[in-house]
Amino acid sequence: MNRRSTRRDFLQSTLGTSAVISLGGLVPACFRNALAEDNNGGETVLVVVQLSGGNDGLNTVIPFDDPLYRQNRPTLAVPAPDGLTIDNGLGFHPAARGLADLLENDQLAIVQGVGYPDPNHSHFESMDIWHTCQRKRKESPRKTGWLGRFLDGTSTAGDPAGLHLGSKKQPLALAAANTRVPSIRSLERFRLQGDEDHEVRQFVGSLAGDQPTGADDLLSFVQTSTTAALSASERVEAARRDYQTPVTYPEHALGHKLRTVAQLIDAGLRSRVYYVELDGFDTHSQQAAAHAALLGQLGDALSAFVEDVHHHGHGQRVLVMAFSEFGRRVKENASKGTDHGAAAPLFLAGERVKGGLHGARPDLTALEEGDLKFQTDFRRVYATVLENWLGVASNPVLGSDYRPLDVLNNVS
Amino acid sequence: MTESRPIDPQWAWAEYQPSDERPWNRRLAAHLFRRAGFGASWEMLAEAVARGPAEVVTDLLEPVDAQQAAQDAFAEAILAGGDPRQLAAWWVYVMLQTPTPLLENMTLFWHGHFATSAEKVTDARAMYAQNALLREHALGSFRLLVHGISRDPAMLIYLDSATNRKAHPNENFARELMELFCLGEGNYSERDVKELARCFTGWELRRDRFRFNRYQHDNGDKTVLGKTGPFPESDVIDHVLAQPAAPEFIARKLIRFLVADEPVPPDELVAPIAGQLRASNWDVGQAIGTILRSNLFFSPYAIARKVRSPVDVTVGLLRSLEATTDAARLASELGDLGQGLFYPPNVKGWDGGRTWINSSTLLGRANAVGRLIRDPKTRFRGGDLATYFTEHLGAETGEQVVDVLTQLTLAVPVSEPLRDQLIEVAERPGPRNERLAAVVHALGTLPEFQIG
Repeated sequence: MNRRSTRRDFLQSTLGTSAVISLGGLVPACFRNALAEDNNGGETVLVVVQLSGGNDGLNTVIPFDDPLYRQNRPTLAVPAPDGLTIDNGLGFHPAARGLADLLENDQLAIVQGVGYPDPNHSHFESMDIWHTCQRKRKESPRKTGWLGRFLDGTSTAGDPAGLHLGSKKQPLALAAANTRVPSIRSLERFRLQGDEDHEVRQFVGSLAGDQPTGADDLLSFVQTSTTAALSASERVEAARRDYQTPVTYPEHALGHKLRTVAQLIDAGLRSRVYYVELDGFDTHSQQAAAHAALLGQLGDALSAFVEDVHHHGHGQRVLVMAFSEFGRRVKENASKGTDHGAAAPLFLAGERVKGGLHGARPDLTALEEGDLKFQTDFRRVYATVLENWLGVASNPVLGSDYRPLDVLNNVS
Repeated sequence: MTESRPIDPQWAWAEYQPSDERPWNRRLAAHLFRRAGFGASWEMLAEAVARGPAEVVTDLLEPVDAQQAAQDAFAEAILAGGDPRQLAAWWVYVMLQTPTPLLENMTLFWHGHFATSAEKVTDARAMYAQNALLREHALGSFRLLVHGISRDPAMLIYLDSATNRKAHPNENFARELMELFCLGEGNYSERDVKELARCFTGWELRRDRFRFNRYQHDNGDKTVLGKTGPFPESDVIDHVLAQPAAPEFIARKLIRFLVADEPVPPDELVAPIAGQLRASNWDVGQAIGTILRSNLFFSPYAIARKVRSPVDVTVGLLRSLEATTDAARLASELGDLGQGLFYPPNVKGWDGGRTWINSSTLLGRANAVGRLIRDPKTRFRGGDLATYFTEHLGAETGEQVVDVLTQLTLAVPVSEPLRDQLIEVAERPGPRNERLAAVVHALGTLPEFQIG
């Protein structure tokens, strides 16, 4: 037998498991963790919900008392509903009942008019700006995202530093120089299949120790990604156990993903960041029904998730941030839709937020090229999350100083 | 392209001439077929080595329509059902069977460039018609392709331009025409988007067909990209294509697709290909010919410098083993791996490169290879794996099997210990078909397998 088999035998005899993958010389941290009893007093966790396509903020947090709102939205203006009032003549879209429930429980902070100077109207460019905190520069592609830079400085003792749940490509926000963030489509699929005698598993595991390191070329990128995939797969498999919750999640993709996040947090996974997406906000035509459905999904899934993590005793250490790459044009278009805009509200949800409205309200009389002007730079929100939630200095991550917002409470 | 010294553009695009230092061999032939279109069988590689690179590239660029009729009949049967998801199975079938893999690969390239998703369009016939348009011009005129796509019903539905009225121009198509199709971000202003949108007012769909509605067209002067005028008909498209940024944008994307994922090719390397596109009035086939025949293409700057797409990995594996399979199942696997045909993730298409790779897709690729190779519907030149290896590849021993397989499927040479381990897998006891399947499955899990 060669030396690799010896290491495998060692792990098997030490850990008593039959299908352990050896992960090179630096293995056993994650297996030690898997065997250790998890407690619930882990570190703070950030759950990012990306609303892809550009959420119509003006029809999410609605200025019902502003005549300009009705003038600009002849077909899309929503009549003021009962019971969804926020404050100052503002109210939620009637479909966003879940958001209103969170606000009522003091579990939702609404940061108004979030954006950045000289807004870009391309989905991809604006999303990249949100993900990297950098404008496009010729000849120097943006390689890391703000969360990736945070994750590079964290230590999660063998667990994946962050997790992306979804089948689409990974958001640039999670790209890091040294950390590989796994993407998980579903827990069931997230393992090597198809060879019942674990032959391939063992084969791959035995190779992982042979990897060259250092060179930033494609092959070493794929090699480190493969190691990360196998490691995360083992860990998630170990974390999977019967999960009981009295909370009923809505039956759609976002509900399922957030339920999985709650399950992994409760299983004791030490990941600091979870990232999920809700797509479909690019409502250029026939917006009303589509947008209402999305706001319903967002609100229902978020309120179920916040209740669930509370029920399992993790409420004090879980914060959700929901953002979109931009809002939409104030004036609706001829297709009963709205085109790409600029500033929009951003939501923070959890037990430790200071519930209610934050930041200045965008002014419908002072538009910039037909768009709402931003009142709060999104990097101030990031600085808040980094400094006051994740507990790190924000300057090295954001590349500059941004003043945090007063939207979070200390541990109660 | 990790080497940092600059590449001489003149050397780069000059035709590669085999020599004693840089001999034309099976490895280079496999590289050519992998990049041009989904790999090649052992037999094709031997034939290519005998013929030389120039002739092989000329052949790849040559249109053949022997199977066109059969493909159309298959497509008709699927269109009668109306489900666009079935179309993906049809395209997989075409990719596996086609005698013109470069044409098919470039059709896939343009599908990613002019990304349109059946998720929103839902009309299988419109998606099929767009696919035919992409194939018609895939190796032809990019100019005609842009003109065609701007009147293509599936595209107009996808970008919300099925109605476009004078009073409220829809900016979506105008923006993407400049940002994603022709110029690239940063080469136009927000004002250009608004003015260009006015040019497309009155371009609409009527009973699923394009028509120009002159009552809804804004006839006034517009100022687009520094030029003012009424821009009648489709003049404005030629005006956009006349921008210097246009051929550079397309040349850069072609080089990235055919040569290397990283880094972004420097301007001086892009310029000759951009110049050729401009001088030839946008003849894409000619530019591709230059790229595929070049010194750069057959150099370490290109070999093993791309992350293989899900189609490259799966269709490539099957084509190199002359296999057929359950196309519907493979089409659905491709969706799981992040490359659902007719279902690109958004209007920007697939980013490719490193974005193909994450933990889920890596586990998924290994699982997909394992399932594909063991699926009873997968037949290798009509027979099973054991017969194929013995009769058509002449590979009997574990060593022979591993050497043939690695040459067929890997761009990166395997290390000696890795080769030994693969041979060990091949020589374990058990039925020969399962032994061979296990070796292929093991290969599919390797980082090396993802690089092409």
